[in-house]
Amino acid sequence: MERKIWIWTTTLVLVVITSVAGTAYYIATSTGEKLVISTTTSLYDTLLLDVIEDQFEAEYPIDLYFISVGTGLAIKHAQRGDADMILVHDPSRERAFLENGHGVCRKIVAYNFFAIVGPEADPAEINGLSPPQAMIEIVEAGRNGQAKWVSRGDDSGTHTKEKGLWNDAGLNRTELREEEWYIEAGAGMGTTLQIAEQFSAYTLADMGTYLKYYKDNIITLKELVTQGEELLNVYSGIAVNKSMHPKVNFDGAISFIEFLISERGQQIIEDYGKDIYWRSLFYPAVGLLKENTEPATVQWIKNYAFFDGYECPPEYQNDHPELYS
Amino acid sequence: MWEILEGIRRIIELFGNPVVLETTFRSIYVSGTATLLSALLGIPLGVLIGFKDFTGKHFVKGIFNALLGIPTVALGLILYLVFSHSGFLGFLDLLYTPMVIMFGQAILITPIMISLVVHAVESVDPDVRDLARTLGASETEASIAVLRESTAGVTLAFVSCFNRAIAELGVAIAVGGNIRGLTRVLTTTIALEVMRGEIEYSIAMAVMLLLIVFVVTLAINLIQRRRP
Amino acid sequence: MNCFVKLQGLTKRYEDVTALDNVNLEVKRSEILTIIGPNGSGKTTLLRMMAFLDTPTEGEIYFDGAGINDNNRNHIRTKCTMVFQKTAIFDTTVYNNIAYGLRLRKCSKREIEERIREILGLVRLEGYEKRQTKKLSGGEQQRVSLARALTLNTELLLLDEPTANLDPKNASIIEEAIARVNREYNTTVVTTTHNMFQAESITERVALLLGGKIAEIGTASEIFGNASKNLAGFAMLENVFSGISRIREDGTSLIEVGDAVQIEAALKKSGKVTVLVRPEDIIVSRKAVNSSARNIFEGKIVGISDLGSTVKLNVDVGKSFVVQITKRSFSEMRLNLNSKVFLTFKASSVYTV
Repeated sequence: MERKIWIWTTTLVLVVITSVAGTAYYIATSTGEKLVISTTTSLYDTLLLDVIEDQFEAEYPIDLYFISVGTGLAIKHAQRGDADMILVHDPSRERAFLENGHGVCRKIVAYNFFAIVGPEADPAEINGLSPPQAMIEIVEAGRNGQAKWVSRGDDSGTHTKEKGLWNDAGLNRTELREEEWYIEAGAGMGTTLQIAEQFSAYTLADMGTYLKYYKDNIITLKELVTQGEELLNVYSGIAVNKSMHPKVNFDGAISFIEFLISERGQQIIEDYGKDIYWRSLFYPAVGLLKENTEPATVQWIKNYAFFDGYECPPEYQNDHPELYS
Repeated sequence: MWEILEGIRRIIELFGNPVVLETTFRSIYVSGTATLLSALLGIPLGVLIGFKDFTGKHFVKGIFNALLGIPTVALGLILYLVFSHSGFLGFLDLLYTPMVIMFGQAILITPIMISLVVHAVESVDPDVRDLARTLGASETEASIAVLRESTAGVTLAFVSCFNRAIAELGVAIAVGGNIRGLTRVLTTTIALEVMRGEIEYSIAMAVMLLLIVFVVTLAINLIQRRRP
Repeated sequence: MNCFVKLQGLTKRYEDVTALDNVNLEVKRSEILTIIGPNGSGKTTLLRMMAFLDTPTEGEIYFDGAGINDNNRNHIRTKCTMVFQKTAIFDTTVYNNIAYGLRLRKCSKREIEERIREILGLVRLEGYEKRQTKKLSGGEQQRVSLARALTLNTELLLLDEPTANLDPKNASIIEEAIARVNREYNTTVVTTTHNMFQAESITERVALLLGGKIAEIGTASEIFGNASKNLAGFAMLENVFSGISRIREDGTSLIEVGDAVQIEAALKKSGKVTVLVRPEDIIVSRKAVNSSARNIFEGKIVGISDLGSTVKLNVDVGKSFVVQITKRSFSEMRLNLNSKVFLTFKASSVYTV
């Protein structure tokens, strides 16, 4: 009987010690400055941000906290003041974010292209077509029972892009959704790709996730349509407006944005993935925009991701004009 | 066949991976503390309800039994709204910390703790109290004797709550943010890595989680059964 | 004053049931008193009052001259202890069960060890200290409960049906222990039973409790000797038959109890009588035995109860008799339901009530 009491007391003491020690450790290590960044899964899941985090934290005494959710939720987080800045890829919603007064100091940091991927057999024969044409072909093949389409359906930046594609092709997505060949996943990019793989369907994928899954042999879908203005994918960082949410770490956000657009930051972005996939997953945008090194691409970016001719309209530049010089 | 063995070998290797170990300790720390917090409130309350007969006792028990099945995602969402900076507890600045996960999990498991403790206390042979009294115990001493008879049930409550807490996902991911090195626990890691396609890594984590649950349950059973 | 516990006008009511109705009883110091009555007569309730576990609705209890009220009840409770009818044990070792009360009374560890060893000897459970009580047989558990109570050496010892459902071996160990404690420590003992034969061996006085009231009270021989009608009133006395008795020339009586069953009794009684035969006095056999016993009946087994080392049988010979044999005999004779058996008992084993 006494033995049992000893066992119980010891266990209880151990548990309490663990709790107290853990809490003490946590308090000790979290007294530094922290920066909460709401970002999208297509960026986060490539692990690029882990690399950036390590490099940034080596230089700055700031603890980075990345919250990775869909673009829609990332923006909502920031609107509630739960993030200090956002790093997303949805220009139309970014614009609203600025105009609603939640965000300031927007900076485009990187870009790449989506791709329409599909089964190797390519029953809809979209390989090499322009994006709008491809979408039309897919609809026809779908209606003929030869192909299927999987949509993210989750309010993410990629999903917004997909909606744009349907628009550009002159098609009414709301009607298409009801058709049998249109599968709405309601999931992240990885799961969506796996569903497409399962059904040998077509889908819109961001390069980062697609390359990883392809390399790991999780999917056998091929990149079929990779060129076209319609597939442009632009990533920007926006700081949360301190006047609206007084408690945010605005200075930290600016530091991080400065890091991302610095030569070093841009180099990290460009180099990422080259050793594994033999190509960049993301292209640095700052130098491109400044020096206009690829005029066509620059024009595309301006068409798609600029607001009234500005990367960040002056009223939202918030006393940091040096970011835009 | 060879791939399966290879896969198993890689998974076993991952057990030594520092990130895996860190995540495991964090899971145990967060859920263990949550269980402690819940026990602090739940065990006294459960004992009280179990001992006393009062009007509305049935109703109160019914409420706790109903709360047993709270969907974790719903609870997680509610807690997020409360602790978000625009929520009414936002000023505490607890969002995206291990503390808020602890708190959320404690809320999740307290109904379980209370229900199981009440059941444990009520399952004690009603004669035990009178037995203690007739052997010379005061009312308090008699209550202690009854409690002693219910330790098996109370332990079960504690262990069940811990297992529930460490295995839940909805609360941890909603209020924790799954931040690397800070609020990432076993369940949230599995969710993330599966989505990323890191199947082996996810399996290693899942096995870790299962191991913890099994080991804890087994240990308790052994201690209960061991007779000096 | 010789009266140790005095119950005056004791009444206990629950909701719509009156369990005890104006009970007046005086328990003498150091006596062994048995309260006998059918199930539901209020025996347990009465005992619980005396154990100060429950409080009466009306009436007074005096313990050693002092009236009991809310102030001193808890303290007085330590001077008596009760062993319940349904064995209650703590889920731990035999040692810890018995030590419970001693630890409450702050005895030293050495003293506890010694007392436990002594008491285990008394109930013939030597060496059982470390065994898990819940894993013992029913009889052993009952003995542990008794040991747990006895070791406290209280002034008053209350036992509710201590030997009910026990085989004779366990029952006698318990009875011996109670007698010894009463002898050596002058412990006042009050027991209850519904079976008068269990009471007879050790008790001095008997009180008859019927319907919450004390119907009779006196010495054992007074109550049993007279074999009052009250006593026969409850069915737990086995083998009770009413019939018409006729005296015969040789001084015996022949009693017709119905269903063509005639019992020879070694007494003189005529007219309406109630007779009784103890199960232990009846011999069971497969074939008719040649003996001096006057009562031989043939019948078949209609009921079997396993009591551990003995087996209780219901045998229908026209009327239903309850008999008791050892388990060994039961298997040796290869008895079963519907087995044909002979019952034999002497005329002198027939009692009238």
